[in-house]
Amino acid sequence: MSTTIAFESREETERTQGSRSPGPHRGLAPFVVVQRTLQYILIVLLALFCLIPFAWLVLSAVDAHAGPTVQMPTLSLDNFVRFFTSADTPRLLVNSLIISVGATALNLALGMIGAYALSRFRFRGRTTFMFAILLVRVIPPPATIVALYLMLVQMHLDDSYLGLILVEAAASLPVTLWLLKGTVDAVPQDVEEAAWMDGCSRLGGMRRVIFPLMGPGLGAAAMLTFMSVWGDFLTPLVLLQSPDLYPLSIGLFRAFSAFNQVDWGVLAASAVIYMVPPAVLYMVLRKYLLKSSLGGALKG
Amino acid sequence: MTTLSVPSARKRRRLQRRGLLPLLLGPSVLLIALFVIAPAVYSLYLGFTNTQLTGFAARDPKFVGIDNYTYLLSSPDFLGSLGRTGVFVLFSAIIGQTVLGMLAALLLSRKWMRGKGLFGAAVLLPMVVPEVVASLAWASVLSPRADGTLNRLIDLLGAQPVAWLQAAPMVCIIVVNVWRGIAFAMIMFQAALEDVPEELIEASRIDGASARQVFTNVTLPLIRGPVFLYLLLTTITTVGVFGLVYFLTQGGPGSSTQLVSIYIFEHAFEYSQIGLGSAASVVLLVVLLVLGLTYVRLAKVEV
Repeated sequence: MSTTIAFESREETERTQGSRSPGPHRGLAPFVVVQRTLQYILIVLLALFCLIPFAWLVLSAVDAHAGPTVQMPTLSLDNFVRFFTSADTPRLLVNSLIISVGATALNLALGMIGAYALSRFRFRGRTTFMFAILLVRVIPPPATIVALYLMLVQMHLDDSYLGLILVEAAASLPVTLWLLKGTVDAVPQDVEEAAWMDGCSRLGGMRRVIFPLMGPGLGAAAMLTFMSVWGDFLTPLVLLQSPDLYPLSIGLFRAFSAFNQVDWGVLAASAVIYMVPPAVLYMVLRKYLLKSSLGGALKG
Repeated sequence: MTTLSVPSARKRRRLQRRGLLPLLLGPSVLLIALFVIAPAVYSLYLGFTNTQLTGFAARDPKFVGIDNYTYLLSSPDFLGSLGRTGVFVLFSAIIGQTVLGMLAALLLSRKWMRGKGLFGAAVLLPMVVPEVVASLAWASVLSPRADGTLNRLIDLLGAQPVAWLQAAPMVCIIVVNVWRGIAFAMIMFQAALEDVPEELIEASRIDGASARQVFTNVTLPLIRGPVFLYLLLTTITTVGVFGLVYFLTQGGPGSSTQLVSIYIFEHAFEYSQIGLGSAASVVLLVVLLVLGLTYVRLAKVEV
């Protein structure tokens, strides 16, 4: 996470510097102009490579007669209307929200109290535990999905919201614990002790002093967890069998694989609806990520 | 009144402490142990059994020793998928993402460049969207029809339309994965480049070094640690890539894009050979471990 943060702050500083420096081509040697133009061409090509694949999604989502390939759209919001009024597509969105919000809430609730314990208590095996949970994340998800599926079948948690929410919350918990431990570390012990002096219990101090000061860290953890659950494909594919429970990822895959009767317009519209929450969340929470890099508001 | 109550409150807290720790950390430990660590351990065990999802062996799984492993290591099918995963990681992660990510990071570190926010956002977008959306977007680009995006582009150059996912499936999934991973490389390298002292670069420029010489002799050695850390992380994530490829090709045509992740999925859930799938997972983990240790050795990072 710290890398993202460094990236953001770098951008900030350079934007302010850039506004003061003179324009790019004024009074430069011809050689430098050529060099800079080439570099502009390179970055434009790179940006185009990154953006062009989205052309079909965006154009087809607003096209009443969308096909599987790029074409000039006959502008209409019909596809979105059909997505929300159809019998089964709104269900996909609701399922995605239930699973992602449920898993994120559980993840943050456990992460907050767990991170507090990891930050404020000294006990044997603390460091070992911290590194063990980080190391386990090295295992690629496809390698453990088979065993996970069998275990959930034996616990009768397969093909249910609860099972998937527990699995997803657990999968992101190591990152949340690491991130939030850093956030709690940044709150000075004195502030908490002052609250104890004023008659707060340990739990009361946590609730009234620590948690309110965790904002930026919580935002970062929430974003990371939500995005990974929202985008996950493999886990719901394996754990869920009932179409009633499918999130958007699986619904899109099934709709796309039904080669004969694909409704391309609705498919593109669902994909756009599916990609908006993580994209918006990322843009909104960029600010919080920046703040959390400053190590909590209290240090200043 | 308050002075009297403080010591007693402290004592109460000390007593609470012992009970509080399991209460606070317990749920997290339980959830991670149950859904993250136990499956890893369980798949180690399953690899030594002939567990099936359906059929006779499903009711009565037996311990079969290293049978699964001897089968896998002599199966051209599995070794082929292992090789494809190797090629996929090498070309998409280690070469493609690293080179383009470094390029993006270097270009966006130019002080004179305008529109950095916009270019940065464009590079970030492929990483931010869910993998299913990424695959769907590329399905339209690689469409075999004459009006598929890529076929239209090569039509401008006068070439005939190509059924990309049939003609060059591995190249397709490598390009798609490069596209998705540039942003992560860029973010990692931007952070690393920021730590390179500017005076050092200016000094070598004054001494007459060319831009390329500065990069290979000054910048690169200084960011060696972060670069190897990035290579380690991207190798781990790329070995775990499943949805992006499965959505586009489902391992086909034939088994030409069957990575190990897809091999595991197919054998465990389509042929219901849970034991074999688990053994394949373990082989994958061992390969990953060897790769990881190699990087650590190469980077000379103290762990």
